[in-house]
Order: sequence, then C-alpha cells, then structure tokens
Amino acid sequence: MSLSLCLLAASVLPLFPLGWVFNRLVASLPAGIAQGLAALILPQLGIALLGLVPPSSTWPVSWRYGAMAWATGSALLYALRALSARDLGIWTRLMLSSGLGVVWLGWCAGAPAAVLRAVAVGWSLPGAVALFLAGVLVRRVGGAYIGLQGGLATVMPRMTASLVLAALALTATPVFPAFFALWRGLGSIPLAFVPFWLPLIFLWGWAAGRLFQDLLFGDYRGERVADIGRPSAALIGLVLLAAVVLGFHRGGVTL
Amino acid sequence: MTLTLGDRLKVRSMVYVASEPIPRFWPMRTFIHHNPLYGLEHRPFVEAVAEGSRLFHARGYLDRGQYQEYRREGRIDDALLRRRIREFLAARAGLPSELDLEAWLWHLATACRRPRVVEAGDWVSGAGIAAVWRGQPAPPPEGDLDAALRAALGRRCAPESPVYAHVDALFGTTLGATLDDLLSKSCLDFFDEGQSAWQAPGREAGFFRAWKAIARRNARFLLRGLHLRQVLAEEETAEGMVAYVLRRLEVPEAVWQDYITRELTRMHGWAGFIRYRMGAKHYYWAQRYPADLVDFLAVRMVLGFALLQEGRRHHGTPASASEILALLDGKPRQAYLRHELYGGTILPAWAHRVDNALARGRPEAIARIASAYVAARTDWENRRTAEALRALAQAVGATEEAALADLAPGQTDALLSVLRDWEDGEGQVWLEAMESRCIDELVAKIRPPASGEPGAKRPFAQALFCIDVRSERMRRHLEALGDYQTFGIAGFFGIPLGYLEFGKGSEAHLCPAVQTPKNLVLEIPAGLDFEEEPLYDALEHVLHELKASVLSPFVAVEAVGLLFSLGLVGRTLAPLGYHRWRTRLHAGKPVTRLLLDKLSPEQADSVIRAVQRAMIVRALARELRIPRDQVTDDDVRNLREIALGNEPGPSRLAQRLGMTEAAEREFLDKLRSVYRIDQGVTSLQMGRLGRIGFSVEEQVRYVTQALLSIGADRNFSRFVLLVAHMSQSENNPYESALDCGACGGGKGLPNARALAGMANKPEVRRRLRERGIVIPEDTWFLPAIHNTTTDVIELHDLDLLPARHLLYLERLRSGLSAAGRCCAAERMPLLGAAPRLAADPFAAAALAQRQAHDWSQVRPEWGLARNAYAIVARRALTEGVDLQGRAFLQSYDYRLDPKGRLLENILTGPLVVGEWINLEHYFSVVDTESYGSGSKVYHNVAGRFAVMTGNQSDLRTGLPAQTVLKDGRPYHEPVRLIALVEAPLEFARRTVGRIAKVQALIGGGWVRLLVLDPEDDYRVHVLEDGGFRVHPRSGRGGHAPSKNPVLEASS
Repeated sequence: MSLSLCLLAASVLPLFPLGWVFNRLVASLPAGIAQGLAALILPQLGIALLGLVPPSSTWPVSWRYGAMAWATGSALLYALRALSARDLGIWTRLMLSSGLGVVWLGWCAGAPAAVLRAVAVGWSLPGAVALFLAGVLVRRVGGAYIGLQGGLATVMPRMTASLVLAALALTATPVFPAFFALWRGLGSIPLAFVPFWLPLIFLWGWAAGRLFQDLLFGDYRGERVADIGRPSAALIGLVLLAAVVLGFHRGGVTL
Repeated sequence: MTLTLGDRLKVRSMVYVASEPIPRFWPMRTFIHHNPLYGLEHRPFVEAVAEGSRLFHARGYLDRGQYQEYRREGRIDDALLRRRIREFLAARAGLPSELDLEAWLWHLATACRRPRVVEAGDWVSGAGIAAVWRGQPAPPPEGDLDAALRAALGRRCAPESPVYAHVDALFGTTLGATLDDLLSKSCLDFFDEGQSAWQAPGREAGFFRAWKAIARRNARFLLRGLHLRQVLAEEETAEGMVAYVLRRLEVPEAVWQDYITRELTRMHGWAGFIRYRMGAKHYYWAQRYPADLVDFLAVRMVLGFALLQEGRRHHGTPASASEILALLDGKPRQAYLRHELYGGTILPAWAHRVDNALARGRPEAIARIASAYVAARTDWENRRTAEALRALAQAVGATEEAALADLAPGQTDALLSVLRDWEDGEGQVWLEAMESRCIDELVAKIRPPASGEPGAKRPFAQALFCIDVRSERMRRHLEALGDYQTFGIAGFFGIPLGYLEFGKGSEAHLCPAVQTPKNLVLEIPAGLDFEEEPLYDALEHVLHELKASVLSPFVAVEAVGLLFSLGLVGRTLAPLGYHRWRTRLHAGKPVTRLLLDKLSPEQADSVIRAVQRAMIVRALARELRIPRDQVTDDDVRNLREIALGNEPGPSRLAQRLGMTEAAEREFLDKLRSVYRIDQGVTSLQMGRLGRIGFSVEEQVRYVTQALLSIGADRNFSRFVLLVAHMSQSENNPYESALDCGACGGGKGLPNARALAGMANKPEVRRRLRERGIVIPEDTWFLPAIHNTTTDVIELHDLDLLPARHLLYLERLRSGLSAAGRCCAAERMPLLGAAPRLAADPFAAAALAQRQAHDWSQVRPEWGLARNAYAIVARRALTEGVDLQGRAFLQSYDYRLDPKGRLLENILTGPLVVGEWINLEHYFSVVDTESYGSGSKVYHNVAGRFAVMTGNQSDLRTGLPAQTVLKDGRPYHEPVRLIALVEAPLEFARRTVGRIAKVQALIGGGWVRLLVLDPEDDYRVHVLEDGGFRVHPRSGRGGHAPSKNPVLEASS
C-alpha cells in the first residue's frame, strides 16, 4: 500500500520516471492559466499522498538513502533534459520536475508536511507564472518556442521581464523561496549527496542562461505582437514579491 | 598537393579581386572617415547600396517609419515623392486598372506603418489571396511539391555561401559564430600593437606562418576537438592552403571568387584592416609583422574546414558543398523544414512538431509533416498579405477596398508585383525627396551679391579655417563680432606633409588619406637649456610600466594601487580641476621650430656625419668603456671612415690603446650592425634626409596654391590666421575621428605652422609678388588651432610675432575668445545641456571645457554629424547665413582659376574627403550595427588599433550610435553630400568631366551636384536624373518663388 501511494505521489510530485505522468497531465490542459493551476495543485496533491505513507524516519536507512539518491538522480536528469528544450512550456515543466526533487529530498529527510508544502510552492509558483506566460505566447505568437524570433524583450518588455523573474525564481536564485528551500534541504541531507546537487544548480543556471539568451538578445524577427498589460505584469510582480517575502520568512532571514 | 606558381598567382589575384568591395579600415589613432561602400564606388549609388546589402547584410536606407517621421517634420519634399510615384507607375505595363495605384503607393509610403506590406514569402500568390478573401484556406502549391521546395531552397541557399553557413542554417549549429570567435582571437594575437603584455611568437614570419606554427599546439583548438595538424601538413603556403580547402570542400571552381568574397565580407572589419596594412608601406607594424588577405583567408578556411570535419565526426552534419547540394536536391522536404526551423522562420505553432520529426528522422513522417506544414505556411503567408492589402485599401478609400476584393488572381499578382517593386526602391525615393528639401533650403539661404564687388576695406584680421563643418559656426560668430574676414580651406592647407613630432618615434602623414606626402617636416626644440625629465613624468612612466607588467598585479596592487584611486576620484568628481592639477605637474612642451627648408647635399652629409660621430662616441663608452676624454675628434673620424669602408684598419685608437685585431673587428662589426654606421644605411639616410623640408620653389608653389584656391590674392590684413583644428576628449577611442579629416585624422597645426613659416619668409613673398600676389610688409601669417570640443582658438608661434603686432594681439585674442564662447553657447544646448546656456556664453564655454575632460562623456561633441552640404564658393554668398554647422565651406573664386586647375584640386581633394565623411555618417545612421559600430558602451579597445564589441568580435568600423543618434533617433540627417559649386555651368561641367573619379562620384549619385552660375544671374543648376535643371527659386531676382519648385521645373 505504501509503495503504491509513493508511486502515485511520484506521478504528481514528479520523480523519474513517473514524472512523465505529471508532465503529460499538465501538457494535456489548455496552455495558460489551466496549466499554471495544475502546476500549483498537483505537487500539493503528491505531498498529501505522501502524508498517508508512514514517515520516512521509520524506514531503514538504506531505503531512505536510496530514495534520496533517486530524487537526486531524477532532478539531475530533468535538468539535463531542460537544457535541450526549446519550447517554453516543456522547459518550465522539466525545470519544475527537476526542482520538485527537493521536496522528495525533504520528505526523505523527515521534514514536516507544512515545510514540504512551502518548498513545493517555492517552485510551483514561479512555474505556474512561467506556464501562464507560455500560454500568452502561444495565443499571441502561435507557439512558445523560444529562440525563434530572438530579442523578444524589445517587443514584449513586460512579458519578458516577468518571464525572466519567474525563471530566476524557478532556478533557485537567491532571494527567491526556492533558494532558501534548497539551502535548508542541502543542510539536512547527508554530505555525500551535496556534490550531486551542486552540478544541478549549475545545470539550472545554464538552462536559465540559454532561455535568457534566446529571449533577451538578438533582433526580433517575428510579427508585430502586443505585450501583456500593465495590470497583468503588476500582478505577476506582486505574486513574485510575495514569494520573496515568504521565502525570507520561511527561510529564517530577519529583514 | 603543391601548387604551381600560376595557381598561386591565380588564388592571389582571386583574393585581390574578391576583396575589392571591402573598404580599407585605418587604425583608430588616425581615424579616417571613409565610405563603407568605397569599393563599390565605381557603380551607381543605388546598385552599390543593393550590392552592399547583399554582401554585408546591411540596410542602405532608413526604414519607412523614420522617413514618415521626417515627413511629419516637414523634411520631405512631397512633390518629388509624388513625381517619383508617377514615374514609377508610368514605367510599368499591365497594371490593374480598377485601382488608383498612385493613391495606393502614396498611402503605402506616407501612412502605412508596416515596414513592408508584401513581405518575402515563398507561397504568396493572387490565387491564394483570392481564396482568403472568399473565406477559404489558401490552396497549397499545385503540382510537384518537391520541385517547388527545391526552387524555394535554391532562392535561399546561394552556392557561393560558405559551407558552414549552410550547415548552420540547416542543422542549427553555430559553426559560423565559432569560426568568427576563433579567427578574432587569432587575429588579436597576431596584430596586437603593444596592448598585450605577452606577444605572440614568430610574428616576423607573417600571419599565416606564425599562426600555423602556434596552431599545431594550440590548446584552445585541441580542446574544441579541431584536428589541425593533418590539414596544416597538406600545404605550406597560404595560397596553397586556400586552394586545398576549397577543393576539399568541393566548391565548384566557377564560384571560388564569390565564395572568397563571402568569406572575407563576413568579418569585413578585420579584412578591411588587413587591406589597409597591405597598402600602407610606411606603417611600422605592417613592416615588422607582415600579413595579407591571403593569409587571413587561409587561416579562416583552415579553421572553418576543421570545424566542419569536427561537426561531421560528432553530429554527422555535412562537410562539403556537394553534400549540402545532395541534401537540398535529394531531400527537399527535410531540407525545407530544417531551414524553416533553424532559420527562425518557422510558424511557431509548428516548431515543436517539426523539431521532433527531424530529431526522429523518419522519412515518411518528415514528408507528411512537410506537406502539412507547407499548406499551413501557404495559408498563413497569403492570409497575412491579404490582411495587409485590405488594411492598405481601407486607408486609400472604401471604393478601393471593394475593387481589391473583385480583383482576379492575375490582377492581384500584378498588384503584388507593383507593390513589391515599389517597396524595394522606396528608400531611394525617400532619400531623394529628403535631399530635395535640403536643396530647397540651401538655395533659399544663398545670398547672391546685389551687384558689383564687395568693399575693399582692409579687415582687422583674416582667418583661414578648415572646411570642416565645425568651422562654420566659429567663422559666423567671428565675422559677426566685427572686422574679420574668413576663408575656408582644406585643413592641411594644401601642404601634404610627413611630420615627425618632437619626442615621437614615427612619422605621421598630415594630408588626405588618398595622398602620400613627399616632404618630411621635423619638429625640433628651440630651447637652449638642457632639460631633464621632471620627477612627475618619470614617476608616471614607472607606474605605466608597472601597469603593463604581467607580474605587477601580484606584487604591486597593495603597494601602489591606492595611487590610482586619486585619478579615479579626480576624473569622476572634478574632471576639470583634476586636469588642471595634472597639467601643472607635467612639464610643458618646449618651444619648437619646424625644419622647413630643404637641406643641401652638403648639409645633409654634415648632419649624418654629426650623428654618426655621436654614435661612435656613445659606442666607445658603452662597448669598450672608453670615456670621451680619451678619444680625439680625429680618432672618431678615423673609426667612422674605417666602418664605412673608406679607409683600411687598424684604427689609430686601437693602436694607441693596444686593442687586439679581433677586438677591434668585433667593435667595428657592432658599429655597423647595432649603431648602423654602414655605407648602405648612410645612403638610405641621405635619401631620407632628402625628404626633409621644402625647396623655395615648392614653398612658393604651396603658398600660391593655398591663397589662390581660396580667392585670396589681395587686400591682406595685418593678421592672417591659419586656423587648424583638433578635438579633445578623455577615454574616447574615437578621438581622432573628431580631428581633421583632411589631415588624415590628425591635428592640422603642423600644416598651419608650415604654411605660416613659408608665407612669412621674405624670399617667398618676393617671388609671390612676381606672380602678382602682393603681401604687404606688415602682414603676418599666424598659426592657430581651434579646439572643436571647447571652442577655444589658441595662437601659436607667438614668439616669432614682430613686436609691432603685439599692440594688436589683445584685440585679436579677445575677439577669438568671444567668438568661441558664442560658438559654445550655440552648441551646448544641442548636446543636451540646458537651453538657457544659449543665452549664457560664459557658462556654456565652462561646460564645454568640462565635457572635454569628462571621462564618462560618450559624446564630447557632435563632431561632423548633420553634415549635408559642401559649398565651393566665395564666402560672400554665405556670409551671415546660419548654416547650422552643416556645411563644408571651401572658399573659391572661379575668376582666379581660368583653366579650372584649382577647382580640379578642390574636387579631387576636399570634395572627396567630404564625400567620405558624409557617407560614413549616412551609412552609420541607416544601419548602426552593420555599417556603424553599434553602441560605444560595449566597445573595448582591440590591440591599440581598433575597437570590438564585448571581449571579442569583428573590428567595429563606422561610427558609434552615440555619434549619429540622439535618444534613439537619427541626429544626423542621412542625405548624400550636396555640393554647390559657384562657377559658370559650362566651366564646372568641363572641369568635372576632366576628372574620372569625380565624374563617377557625381554621375553615380554618390554626391549631389549643384552649380551656382554667377554668369547666369546666380541661378542654381541642379543635376538630377542625368541632366541639369534650374532651381526655380534661385537667381538674383525676377524668379517668382514657386510653391512647388520641382514640378514646375520638370514641366
């Protein structure tokens, strides 16, 4: 029963190879808000399912270490895959799948459910914003295939700025909640795993760099296209700001 | 494979011809404004612009939106625009008669906001658009899809394009960018002129040989997986390597030349610099480290070939032209999808699907997707075009919209063809309409003299300024102040000279870049006191050495790093105060004289003897530790004669000091090799000394020519100022771009001093008098320099001024100072300063001073931006007219030039320099990135001779955005140079006709020519469409101003 629940949880709180279920589920929804909501809800569902499983502290140590290794490997694989993704929706889902590996790590380390939820939100929230923006691109340009037009920042500055912030949050850049979650997560796992997570951070940065290069630089070659409205940009800014405040609070940083 | 001499010459000549379109790029220390399309000047402007766009991937005109903005500001001649539309339509047959096409094109040009209505597309057709209007999807291409795709690919993939460019376009690789990076690094290593602390080894052997020696063991290449050893082992020479790689790439020999052109133009900055070096025989670095374009091409081709081979090994990408052709021909569907995806033109909705299909590589799936994609693309292209046409029709009128919907597919095709052709040539029409407005403005400003000659009152001072547009303001303000008369002359004052400045080790050429000076002028200190290097200068020298050292960062930062912060803080917070403080610390430049007179053979021999004797004394002290007091003059003479082979050994000194024969021989060898006391060197030095100075005949000729060319043959005033110009800025690699273009990007003061020295000489004046040019005894030619950044005019050689002139010096200085302040008050608001400065000359002048010393200032002055006119005429025609610093003003009086020789000189010298300056600005505005050098903010100095964007790139040629744009919009109005010549029409035509180069420039439309005919009631004749027409607003009277001058003229 526990194993079944774990496998079910791995389908919505992505863990390789069952993460494809999560990815398929999100991809099957209409691009935009629906996908964003799914990115927020599904990981929480997974955490709820994990709550039904006996705590990992009751498991043999070797099982726990094995699960940690699996979560680490899963995060690495998805990050590696994200490097070659050119579709913004796919890139976001893969980065989300990679980042949510930290939740599994926390669960293996025995973190309480409330902490796990907050950690998941740290990735899901920017992921949801990025998926929403991918939907905007699909509607306005016809697809969210980054790097085709180049220099999107010149024609859609608000959208690009929002996307850049979301991508930074998604790749655990300092001040965003994911960074504090990772920081704490790395402090609570055996030292032997840390060397594997450091290249992971490098891979996330690399993937974000590729995204930015395609978004920000070069000359725009596409059709004329309208930017997102100021209210939308302001709302996204507020959401991400709230996430930063939350990150500081949960991360134990005194402002 | 070893090439025969014939093959090698063939490759070399191919490279030579292929490089013709690439403009030479001068080092930035002597920035030469040049036409980026100089290599295409033999072709008409319109054709050259099109060819330049193809070769350099650049734009030749502004975009439509910017021209529309100019139109809203009244800068466009609507009448000409309409006339050109009518002419365009009149020249075409088979137009859709249902539409008012003139109205269509008018709206398209003046109201349409799209950059293009008919965009490039493979599948747009009248039938497709008709289907869209019927509410149906546009039908996919009929017949054989593969054949249609092959045709589309044929239009996109030119056979002369480099193989790696095809691979990049078809496989999404970045071989081209990687190749550019690797080549940039290789070039930086080789061409460095002292910026790097550690120099690349073996550079004396030439670029290709030096690079080859390093490339075999270059870790950078090895890490990239490039196997260069095998390739480099195939051929020894650069020519052989070029031929070898071209054959291995299987490039058809028929397209080698075009292929080479494409390779060279890809990095035209580096190629242009190497072209310059090849032609600059006097260039020190080129003499020391030779390189040519064949070397450059060979390095590029080897690297490109290795990258292709590496791509084949690791990714299975094609590595030859025939493999590319096989893909395009054999798998057109896959190739088309690849080109769409990696070329960035794919419909975004299809990108992921196509990417997946190509990654899986299943032929059936690819064929299916290609078919579906072409259908979608066809529908999208036709829909987009139909929408654009409908929007345009709506703007023209409701009836047009209805008529458009009723067009048969064939008529729609005709309409598309009209619009496409119009849009292709629209930029040129806008340009002509803009120029027409500028011509109208100029003609309206010209002031033909009412009648008779101006009064012959002797002015207080006369001043000869450079024709540079920045002199116009100064001249206007100076004349407005009172009794001043000004002239315009090319800033080298007609004296091409090589100049060896005191304290400098190399000769500067102070003349237009198209000339090579024969005469050399030396600057020698006139001070009699022995000067030692001041303490501060010595300290600064030490710090500079320390900064350049590789090891100093490890040991010296803590010790002396803080010292540098003084400069940092001072320059940032108080640039002017800091500059004044530092100037006080430095030793001032000593009083100097120019060696102007030619040396006689005896004098030259005496100079060489003196130098050689001094060298022998020094050699004895250094090599043999024999002090001067143990050596007699006779010993030195004896040693010199023996070293030169005029006398046999042993020397008297050796005998006296008991030197062995071997020791003496060794010393004599050193005298010959190290101290250059050698017969061959002596002959060479005699030849070089022969270049120094000017003979009296030459001096008389240069002074005569300078005075007559500006129409100054009488009524000389007490002071005749020869005002050269320079600029002053900090932290500005483009500083020399602001100096004098007629002096090869240098400062023209030596030329002014030289001319003044000649003209003040009694012997010269006597001979001038014989030629009818009478210079009064109390006239003194005084050199000066106009600092165009601060608007200060500084007088020079005042110590030579006769005492009686000193009485008037104060008046002269105060006049110049006031004019400078007025000039600053006019300029500073244009640079973004507060408008109130226009009324506060003192504050404006203070700000100008600050700008010149502010190291954060990206735009210390506007330089030559907004130049538009070249006026070759008497000053009387423009005196008192505000030409807003937009005109090159060359004084000229045709009455002193019966044979037209002076005009010939003006047209071949100053006019060509003006044309280069003008077109450099023009192209830098219309394409800031490709023809210009982009933003200064990202520039870094490369090798001390150029700038690059970021840490490595092609050399950035052209002008930076900050020089030509203001707030993102063109500050420089991009029009071709409008040259107005005051002379009888026939006389001007004959003169132009005698100079092939000028005729090509004017006939080809690189320069717009206006002839102001004083013998035809001062009417202006405008050269247009191959003939002259009279401008209706021109003339001294009797010509009623017309509302529409162009149309009236044409009628």
